[in-house]
Amino acid sequence: MTTVDKTQHSYIPTLVEEMSSGTIGRRDFLRKATLLGLSAAAAYSMAGVAMPGAGAQAEDMPKGGNLRIGMRCMEIKDPHLADFAEKSNVIRQVCEYLTFTDRNNITHPYLLEKWEASDDLKTWTLHIRKDVKWRKGGKPLTADDVVWNLKRVSDPNVGSSVLGLFTGYLVQEYETGEKDEKGNAKKSSKLWADNAIEKVDDYTVRLNCFAPQIAVPEHLYHYPMFILDPADNGAFGPDANGTGPFEMTEYTVGKGAKYKARTDYWGTGPYLDTFEYVDLGDNPGAGIAAMASKQVDGLSEADAVQINSMKNFPHVAVYQVETTQTVVARMHPDIEQFKDKRVRQAMRYAIDRDKVIQTALLGAGAPAEDHHVAPSHPEYAALPKYPRDIEKAKKLLADAGYPDGFEFDMVTRPDPIWELNTAQVLAQQFADIGVKINIKALPSAQYWEVWTTAPFSLTAWGHRPLAIMTLSLAYRSNAAWNESNYSNPDFDKLLTEAEGILDPKERSKVMAKIEAIMQDDGPIVQPFWRVFSTVMDKKVKGFELHPSQYIFAHQYAISA
Amino acid sequence: MANFLLRRLAMMILTMLCASFLVFAVCEFTPGSVARKSLGPFATQQQVDLLTEKLKANDPLLVRYGRWLGVLVGAIPDPLQDPATGLNFKDPRGAQYFGNFGYSTLNKLPVNDVIWDRLGNTAILAGLAFLLIVPLSIVFGVLSGLREGGVLDRTLSVICITFTSIPEFASGVFLVTLFVILWPILPGTSPLNSDGGWAVPYQFVLPVAVLVIYDFGYVARMIRVSMIGVMERPYIRTAILKGMSTRRMVLSHALRNAMIAPFTVLLLQINFLISGVVVTELVFAYPGFGRLILEASLFGDMATLEAATLITVAVAVVTQLLGDLGYMLLDPRIRVR
Repeated sequence: MTTVDKTQHSYIPTLVEEMSSGTIGRRDFLRKATLLGLSAAAAYSMAGVAMPGAGAQAEDMPKGGNLRIGMRCMEIKDPHLADFAEKSNVIRQVCEYLTFTDRNNITHPYLLEKWEASDDLKTWTLHIRKDVKWRKGGKPLTADDVVWNLKRVSDPNVGSSVLGLFTGYLVQEYETGEKDEKGNAKKSSKLWADNAIEKVDDYTVRLNCFAPQIAVPEHLYHYPMFILDPADNGAFGPDANGTGPFEMTEYTVGKGAKYKARTDYWGTGPYLDTFEYVDLGDNPGAGIAAMASKQVDGLSEADAVQINSMKNFPHVAVYQVETTQTVVARMHPDIEQFKDKRVRQAMRYAIDRDKVIQTALLGAGAPAEDHHVAPSHPEYAALPKYPRDIEKAKKLLADAGYPDGFEFDMVTRPDPIWELNTAQVLAQQFADIGVKINIKALPSAQYWEVWTTAPFSLTAWGHRPLAIMTLSLAYRSNAAWNESNYSNPDFDKLLTEAEGILDPKERSKVMAKIEAIMQDDGPIVQPFWRVFSTVMDKKVKGFELHPSQYIFAHQYAISA
Repeated sequence: MANFLLRRLAMMILTMLCASFLVFAVCEFTPGSVARKSLGPFATQQQVDLLTEKLKANDPLLVRYGRWLGVLVGAIPDPLQDPATGLNFKDPRGAQYFGNFGYSTLNKLPVNDVIWDRLGNTAILAGLAFLLIVPLSIVFGVLSGLREGGVLDRTLSVICITFTSIPEFASGVFLVTLFVILWPILPGTSPLNSDGGWAVPYQFVLPVAVLVIYDFGYVARMIRVSMIGVMERPYIRTAILKGMSTRRMVLSHALRNAMIAPFTVLLLQINFLISGVVVTELVFAYPGFGRLILEASLFGDMATLEAATLITVAVAVVTQLLGDLGYMLLDPRIRVR
């Protein structure tokens, strides 16, 4: 057992006790203890397991070479507005985060040396590493830089989705006094107090929250939460400054990105000389063909169909990881047809989840339970499962005033193909209860134009390590990404409560109530959790598939 | 002749004006604003409105069209490149010059920096395909047309019809399976650089093959029909009866006359090859013009779309002109008229 550090959080001894008595698992212990600021190495040692990756030493890795990964290269406006994993992957090689959540959902310090949380989880002290240097100018990363970034994402005029995560503990909504076209009061948000984000000294920043929040370190790894050079003022392109392992030398939308390794990087790696993304377009066949002729060394993502065609290539290794990535068929509860919660319940009873997984994902998924909390989330509470029940669904519809069902448009996008496949299977199953769904597949660009306003749409949600993160982004009243227009004061209150509870058993009790609200009243039909997969050439070393589809080129090497 | 060319030029400019205006008008009715697409799904409405204003996307259609035209001919500077907009759009050629296609909102680059490379790539692909399509279709068409209903005609017809009926994406996947996966002698994608370990010439083989397979059979069928018509003409019968060799009869009498109608069809293939090869470009991830047009139209990138339209219309009009000149060469009677 590691000696107990006096600066460590007061709850850690309790966690250790709970782990020894078997109340919580090792994985849960690791997650909780690291969140509270215990270093990953110490946490792993307390849990009595080896730290992943600790065995692979930097000197074992082959050095040099160029690595090419196939990935869409979309237009990038501002790193703080990044809205796709692909966009963040382009930026991630140049700019870095304060924290890092690994593939086991355990969060480590990154640009931070460590963090400390107060016992009430309202005050978070972030200690910045002193050895981090910006590529340009050679100046060190300071508290001023970090404060500038945290304040920038909290500004509603910037439009970062981090704002939605900060709302409820750092950021407060207020009424502007103006009215919109419908006569409702216009709302905006601001930091709740002037010292909400406070510089303590050159290398220390303190977050003073008005409500307890357990997920602060994980929020700091939300993918737009890059630490940018204030001098760049949010602009990104070749030559952008960063603290990261690479310098971007070239970026062309639709073509690709090129990077050159920094020789003075503060962390371990990079092992490669150069790194590249190659845009292979929207056609899944191009990815297969490029892997077959070794024109790329890997893909950022490969779906089940692509994996099937590539798994027999002798030079290709397949990687898979369970994720909390999912799609939700979400209904606007303020629309006539979906107003009655019995209709929304009926839609949930209409679904045969196993069949959807088999048909749309070729089996690469696990059934979900309509509340957007996954069994792998630490706060998951198991509720009674319900199977497909056509009779019950029909009765619910009839009670709600639709004995003959109704017809409605569902908006989705054709790419990636599994999303459209899911929409088609769901539409067939909805038809069995008399709800005729017309699928409107819009090109991605047009889809994102309407994704929050379409009354009924199928939306993909990325992997997040904690369920409270997704719930607060997507279902809290007026949250930035609340695409379903869901607004339920009881839900909001419980969510805020859950965000402040540390004890896993206690939090899970609140989550059970939240999950029950989602199943009873919520706006979504959620068929599955996706298993995420991709391929790499066997000569690529150090690659581990991250459930969020994140690429960390400085950890990879290529053997001759 | 000068008069003829002048009239043609005037016609060409008029066609281009009409087409460019149509593109503006059609884009009015497509959903989704460029500002929203540039800012992404998570931007606030306030930000979208601000950018829309900066991009001057709210002006009436005619005002925007007039402004675009003014920028194109160099009469006015591109207002989007005004530093006061804060858009950070810069063109190294300056904001006001003849042939200024404006700024691509999709690529965040001047259209002139985006479009010519892509067009050049597609021109190479199209040129190679055309070089193969012309002789192949002539040989197939003439051989089939020589004796209608003969064994050779039937065999070649089956080949032509089969090949033409296979869609490009199907033959693309088929060829990739064959020559990239099962018998790996060719690269599966064509990024047109050798970074992936394959020399560039190899990268052309499959895309060109797909285009030729898809297109040559169709042209060959046209030539066949025309050839059959010519073969029934009295002067051919006379030539045969005179004892002229088949070779000489075909080359100096039949072919020239049989090519008059298919000549237009052949030239139309140039239009198809420049702007219609988007499927082939997608299958092989080829950085071409078709993919650029597709992406620009999905995004609503007006400047790129307009430039692409002008270029494709220009190509169409020029090939028509070439066609007319070609007729004069092939058929002296047209020259006399």
